[in-house]
Amino acid sequence: MKKKITKAQKAYMQNPIIQFFKFIYLNIRILLIVAGGHGGTRK
Amino acid sequence: MSKIVILGAGIAGHTAASHLRRKLPKEHEVLVVSPNHNYQWIPSNIWVGIGRMEARKITFPLAPLYKRKGINYKQAKVVSFHPEGDADHPPYVVVEYVYGEQRGEKEKVTYDYLINATGPKLAFDLTEGLEPGSNDVYSVCTYSHAQHAADGLEKLIQKARNSEKPLKVLIGTGHPKATCQGAAFEYILNVEKELRRRKVRDYIQLKWISNEPALGDFGMDGMLLSYGGEPMTSNDMVEMVFRDRGIEWILGAGVNKVEKGEVHYENLAGEQKTEPFDFAMLIPAFSGHGFKAYDKTGEGITDKLFKGFMIVDADYTPKPYEEWKVQDWPETYQNPSYPNIFAPGIAFAPPHSISKPRKSPNGTEIFPSPPRTGMPSGITAKLVADNIIDSIKKGKTSLEHKGSLGNMGAACIASAGYGLTSGSGISITTYPIVPDYQKYKTTGGRNIKKTFGDIGLAGHWVKLALHYAFIYKAKMKPFWWLIPE
Ligand SMILES: Cc1cc2nc3c(=O)[nH]c(=O)nc-3n(C[C@H](O)[C@H](O)[C@H](O)COP(=O)(O)OP(=O)(O)OC[C@H]3O[C@@H](n4cnc5c(N)ncnc54)[C@H](O)[C@@H]3O)c2cc1C
Repeated sequence: MKKKITKAQKAYMQNPIIQFFKFIYLNIRILLIVAGGHGGTRK
Repeated sequence: MSKIVILGAGIAGHTAASHLRRKLPKEHEVLVVSPNHNYQWIPSNIWVGIGRMEARKITFPLAPLYKRKGINYKQAKVVSFHPEGDADHPPYVVVEYVYGEQRGEKEKVTYDYLINATGPKLAFDLTEGLEPGSNDVYSVCTYSHAQHAADGLEKLIQKARNSEKPLKVLIGTGHPKATCQGAAFEYILNVEKELRRRKVRDYIQLKWISNEPALGDFGMDGMLLSYGGEPMTSNDMVEMVFRDRGIEWILGAGVNKVEKGEVHYENLAGEQKTEPFDFAMLIPAFSGHGFKAYDKTGEGITDKLFKGFMIVDADYTPKPYEEWKVQDWPETYQNPSYPNIFAPGIAFAPPHSISKPRKSPNGTEIFPSPPRTGMPSGITAKLVADNIIDSIKKGKTSLEHKGSLGNMGAACIASAGYGLTSGSGISITTYPIVPDYQKYKTTGGRNIKKTFGDIGLAGHWVKLALHYAFIYKAKMKPFWWLIPE
């Protein structure tokens, strides 16, 4: 059975207060992953 | 004094030009040659394409900015490469002006370093009838295409209000080997939300048509990501979203012809099929520009520089999918024959696709080409600029800055509906972009701690924040360089 987005999850996804904190969290997490460095793969 | 010529003023070319100008003393010349007079922030075309953002909000003229910053600029397109120069000239490119009094005139532009950041050719011609605006099929690949698509969508909405029968929208890829599924994915979700907002959703059937073998492949072989702390495949995630929004799908579809209101495609089972539509947005194939190159005697040397896109430090040896390695992917984007030529962004020839190649029983290749999104385009352009700066400063070639797509993360913040309080976004990060099956054996080649997905209003705000941040950065406003690529 594939996952479904439930009503409660939808409310969570659109709740501006929860999403405000999510926004800060996402920005930091994305920044760390994308700007966290890159390099080669060969020695 | 050195002269650095940058071909193209998209994400890669403009990033390279800005960093070179900021870090190099004024005695060195930075020259941009590009046919577009406006810079455009392509990711926001999605919102232009549904009529929720004006094109002027995602563009600005390049000439005044370049003049202020001391970057020389020719509104022209490159037509041929002469990396050995000729009897009278050092290495040069021939460019043709596309605007103003000089329009149509050709000129030899010499260089010490050349950055080819010409991105892809939008190859509508590879699919019969795909030309945007013809046959009710549109594109969102440029801001003018996107404006046109918004007009087409508006007409559809009006038609839906007066139509007796349900209408049909088809969004996805328009060629068996098209890439950029992410952009089409964003567009279908935005169209869906817009149709709901305009209260016509019930009268319109929405269908995804794609050359991907499975939902969520995105030309990257899909990914295993963490969603709400649990592992989930991108396939399950996209299916969950499509089901939630009532979007149907056709997969493994190699679109080969578009007629008014009908798309013709071959599927991976080798069947020739037709799908009717009232409005379609299909991403074309991305190809190389077909540039020619010549040596100092005028002999053709195109195959030393190009393999469709530009040849760089990748391992292009043909080999089966099972033998592909992350090490095949380039690190410095330097052409092996001419070390003063580089190709960041989409302009470089990838060694192979990332998605597993698939053929129909008729021999038609149907699978996505590798995507090269905005962030890696900016990162690769910056590292090319940094290597050129070091080489100039040290007086010898320096290639210390490296950035393989196999050792780099990317974020795809897919807008899933516009609106400050009602919008939504699907945020997906992937690390690394090209899966490293040796390093991350049990998690599909990706670091599961750095590969995650999230859905919600915050994703829309992130996408909006990125829109403003990257336009600020592109305009080279105070401290622009503090914003990462
Ligand atoms: C609708 C859409 C949405 C997208 N959304 C996202 C997103 O949300 N996130 C993301 O990371 N990526 C996104 N992408 C991908 C991203 O836009 C590309 O990765 C990026 O634009 C590639 O940059 P580039 O500089 O290599 O090529 P381009 O941006 O295509 O720039 C190429 C430049 O070369 C110039 N040029 C062309 N021919 C010549 C010539 N003969 N001589 C000189 N110059 C020439 C062009 O005028 C242009 O200035 C999206 C793409 C599309 C189409």
